[in-house]
Amino acid sequence: MSHLEDDLRAALQREEPSADFADRVLARLEHPATPRPSWQEGLAVLMRPPRLLWVAVCLIVCVMIPFAEVQYRKQRQYLADGERAKQQLLFAVRMAGSKLHQAQKKVLEGGRTETRL
Amino acid sequence: MKTLWILTLYVLVSTAAYGQALDLKNLEKLAAKASDVTDVTLDGSLLKFAAKFLSNDDPDQAKVKKLVAEIKGIYVRTYEFESEGEYSESDLAAIRSQLRTPGWSRIVGVHSKKDHDNAEIYLNKGGAEPGGLAIVCANPKELVVVNIVGKIDLDELSELGGNLGVPKLDLDKPKPSKPDSKKDHD
Repeated sequence: MSHLEDDLRAALQREEPSADFADRVLARLEHPATPRPSWQEGLAVLMRPPRLLWVAVCLIVCVMIPFAEVQYRKQRQYLADGERAKQQLLFAVRMAGSKLHQAQKKVLEGGRTETRL
Repeated sequence: MKTLWILTLYVLVSTAAYGQALDLKNLEKLAAKASDVTDVTLDGSLLKFAAKFLSNDDPDQAKVKKLVAEIKGIYVRTYEFESEGEYSESDLAAIRSQLRTPGWSRIVGVHSKKDHDNAEIYLNKGGAEPGGLAIVCANPKELVVVNIVGKIDLDELSELGGNLGVPKLDLDKPKPSKPDSKKDHD
């Protein structure tokens, strides 16, 4: 007799189930495994309170963060533009005042001037 | 018919308001030759926008805010050159011709033969109130053109000469004649 036959016999010999096997089978039959819910059912669950509140909060936050960032950038740009314009205005007034001042100074100094005031 | 009259009046008023702004495009070609160029263009909305950022708490800025309240535009062009002769009188011809048009009158003209420093101040009388100001300062290495459009108070502008880092000059009181007063001419 070859070893192969011994191995087959050992593998195929009848084995008695454990003592609680029947109880476990009956218990499984009484409480069947719940089927996996579809995405529509999952969404429907989210749309019911109290989860709906959290969903709403999350959505608002997700929308508000980019919106707030855009607004923040716009405001920062506005302030930068305003500051630049202000500096230009101060420079322009300073330049005009300075040149007016210089011309008036020369008039008072009595150089070669021609005035029609 | 009434609408036509209103429209005509509006066009005339608009033309008068903006007619005092000088066309400074002719100066743009000098930018290539200049070593240092400053170009400030503040018209209507931008001027109002800039004025909003002037602080009322800062006395100097408050004065500027008051001064520019009735101004419609400020245009400044400055060109500094490395050497003399980089620009000529012909570059200013276009501006001078605009300043010879009716409405403009030269109130001050300073021509220094010593240092070739020239300064001219023109006023545009847009009715009873001054409608604009033009300052043309030219020396061999620098050219400055300032054009202010709108009602400008020269006293206030002059007063600002004492602020913003420029010493004030009291024009009402005659200066005591000092022998070395000419040294300050530069």
